Amino acid sequence: MPLNTILLLGAALFCIGLAVVVTRKNAIAVLIGIELMLNAANLNLVAFSRFDAVELQGQVFALFVITVAAAEAAVALAIVIKVYQHFQTANLDKINELKG
Amino acid sequence: MIDLNDIISTTEFNPLIYWIIALMAIPLLSFFTTTFLKKIAPVWATLLLGINLSISIYLASQYWDTTGVSIRGNWFSIGDTQLTYSFLIDQLALIMLVVVNFISVLVHFFSMEYMRHDENKSRYFGLLGLFTFSMLGIILFYDLLFIFIFWELVGLSSFLLIGFWFEKKSASLAANKAFIMNRIGDLGFITGLMILYSQFQTFDLEGIKSLTVLSSIEDENWVAEYFKNGELVRNSLDGRWLSAAGIALFCGAVGKSAQFPLQVWLPDAMEGPTPVSALIHAATMVAAGVFMIARIFVILDAQALEVVAVVGAITAFMAAVAAFSQFDIKKVLAYSTISQLGYMVLAMGVGAYTAGLFHLVTHAMFKAGLFLSAGTIIHQLHQLEGKDVNFDPQDMRVMGGLRKYMPVTFICFMICALALAGLPGFSGFLSKDAILLNTAVWIDEKGGGFYFIEVLAFATVLITAFYTFRMIFLVFTGDFRLPKLIPASATLKPLQEGNVFLKLPMVLLAIGSLSIIFGFTMKAENTWFYQLIQDPIFLVPESYAAFNLMDLPHEWFENLHSQVVVISIGLALSGLVIAYFLFKPGAKFSASFAEKREPIGLVGQISFYHWYQNALYEKVILKFIIWKARRIAWFDRVILDGFINFIAKFQVVFAHLIAWFDRNIIDGFVHLTTYTTGRVGQLTRSVQSGNVQAYIMAALAFLILMLIWLLF
Repeated sequence: MPLNTILLLGAALFCIGLAVVVTRKNAIAVLIGIELMLNAANLNLVAFSRFDAVELQGQVFALFVITVAAAEAAVALAIVIKVYQHFQTANLDKINELKG
Repeated sequence: MIDLNDIISTTEFNPLIYWIIALMAIPLLSFFTTTFLKKIAPVWATLLLGINLSISIYLASQYWDTTGVSIRGNWFSIGDTQLTYSFLIDQLALIMLVVVNFISVLVHFFSMEYMRHDENKSRYFGLLGLFTFSMLGIILFYDLLFIFIFWELVGLSSFLLIGFWFEKKSASLAANKAFIMNRIGDLGFITGLMILYSQFQTFDLEGIKSLTVLSSIEDENWVAEYFKNGELVRNSLDGRWLSAAGIALFCGAVGKSAQFPLQVWLPDAMEGPTPVSALIHAATMVAAGVFMIARIFVILDAQALEVVAVVGAITAFMAAVAAFSQFDIKKVLAYSTISQLGYMVLAMGVGAYTAGLFHLVTHAMFKAGLFLSAGTIIHQLHQLEGKDVNFDPQDMRVMGGLRKYMPVTFICFMICALALAGLPGFSGFLSKDAILLNTAVWIDEKGGGFYFIEVLAFATVLITAFYTFRMIFLVFTGDFRLPKLIPASATLKPLQEGNVFLKLPMVLLAIGSLSIIFGFTMKAENTWFYQLIQDPIFLVPESYAAFNLMDLPHEWFENLHSQVVVISIGLALSGLVIAYFLFKPGAKFSASFAEKREPIGLVGQISFYHWYQNALYEKVILKFIIWKARRIAWFDRVILDGFINFIAKFQVVFAHLIAWFDRNIIDGFVHLTTYTTGRVGQLTRSVQSGNVQAYIMAALAFLILMLIWLLF
């Protein structure tokens, strides 16, 4: 499989993730978008790792990313639960305490 | 050429300074402590003054034969102007020290009884201490500035003591009058100080005297040349300033020694307690003026001395005339004090330095004695006053026949009165005789219109004897008039002699009024006083100087002496005889005296109202001053206040203008700034929407922009 195809797939995946993050109203959906973007980055790492047959640094790094993403998901979900408890909603448009 | 700094250089240390400090510190201590004491205040104050008297007697015995010890030190310097202090302990100062302290102690002692029932007696004794302190300052210091400082302190303590019973309106008014009259004289004193300082640049009397000797008259100008700090100083004034300086300084003495035309304060000063009158207004403070003339005597020129002599003679005569019709015993004594002070000043004026000072000392003794005797009478009469019995215990109309009730007081009063009248055997005779003799010699030399001084001086002898014996006949002979005037008083306890506190000072002063104290002689020249103090020689430039009496031929004195003695004794005796025929018990004036209200006839009126001098001051000078004050008040109110009000109004208008400018222009800027800031804030706040996704978009957009900028 040529590298181009994989990179295009990664880019597409990233864009979809970004679109989800920016457009969806639900906080959990936004988290899913973020996961998508992380995985798009992982895809790129694995793809480039093909050119480093000896040490496979890209794949190792992807493993790290997955681990960190898992941790991030745990923390983010906890925050979302607390936010929900506090505001009685998970709609990001409603949670606009940061406005000036 | 002489260097000023050499004359007024600091002297070597002399242990005498401790004694001098002690002499002044003890009365001052009395002033500061006595006021806080209650019961023991009189004893404490008297004890301190007793110590002071012992010190002065000790010093007198130690320094009797020396020519004068001078102590000088640097007080402070401003730039290259050096102000010094200096003391001079000479025979004059020693005699004055003893006299002042002696009389002060006796007055303290006397007051222990006299003021026994006064609730403010601690203040009284404190003020006596303050007075003694200031008087000793005048005597001890030999520096005109310091003499002036203590001069003012004496004036202050006199003011406080005259107004001691300040609840009485008349007493506080009398205190004010005395103070203001003294201030008028002091103005002259300050003027004299300024003239002398501008010429000699020192207040030190030694310096002034040394530089006066060296000054000269060139083309009618008074020139003083000397070195100061190594530089030649040449001060030149119009020659008349030399006379002016002397006359100006004499003005100070006119105020303090109650000379014409400022003498009106002294009779009013009798509002104070009688022992105070004895100490201050008869014996010591009023003598300060004469003492001051003695200190500056050698720098007085002929013209100034003529003024001094004329003023003295006029004062002596006027006051003597005023004395012979008064009803108040203290007023008689007050006028006689003025009169005798006039004699002293006259003596100074004719150049009879020693005679004047001699009279000062003898007068201090016999006048203090007279006042204390009068005080005893007043005190004892005061005891008779009760609920139904009200009278003025100083009024001679309620007295009469007191010889029977108070024999000791009578004898003391008699001795002092004989001294006052100038009869042989008593101290006043010696000193008054010396003054009359010197005056007669001076006028023989001077001639011209000055004979009126001699006439006044001899007329005063007659009048003095007259009013003295009038007083004695009215007070001590005949019947006691009080029971007749106020029948209710007849039932009270009889009049008694005073106790030992009142008697002892009187007796001592009466002894001091005997001429035997000064020597067993009829001639003043043979007394020990004349051996100690000689007439000094005038130091002013020759063309301005008066002639020295001692340069006149001695035969003149010899020839005139016998005549003067005979005339003065004759006049005094005729005064006595006239008084006897007019006021002996049962005589014409004596019989109707109790009902008398005010003397009749021109002479009696002039005398009773003291030549209408007070009325003149009130009607003319006071009116003029009030008129002037009104005009000045008008000027103040209309012109000055108008100007100030105009400025105030202008300020208000101007402030309104500025307020408008502030409100509209300055505040406008501020408001514009806040408005702009607010609008900008409103515009930019929409960016901070609080929408997380919008932030992410913004971050993304910015990232893309950065990438574009970095890559292309």
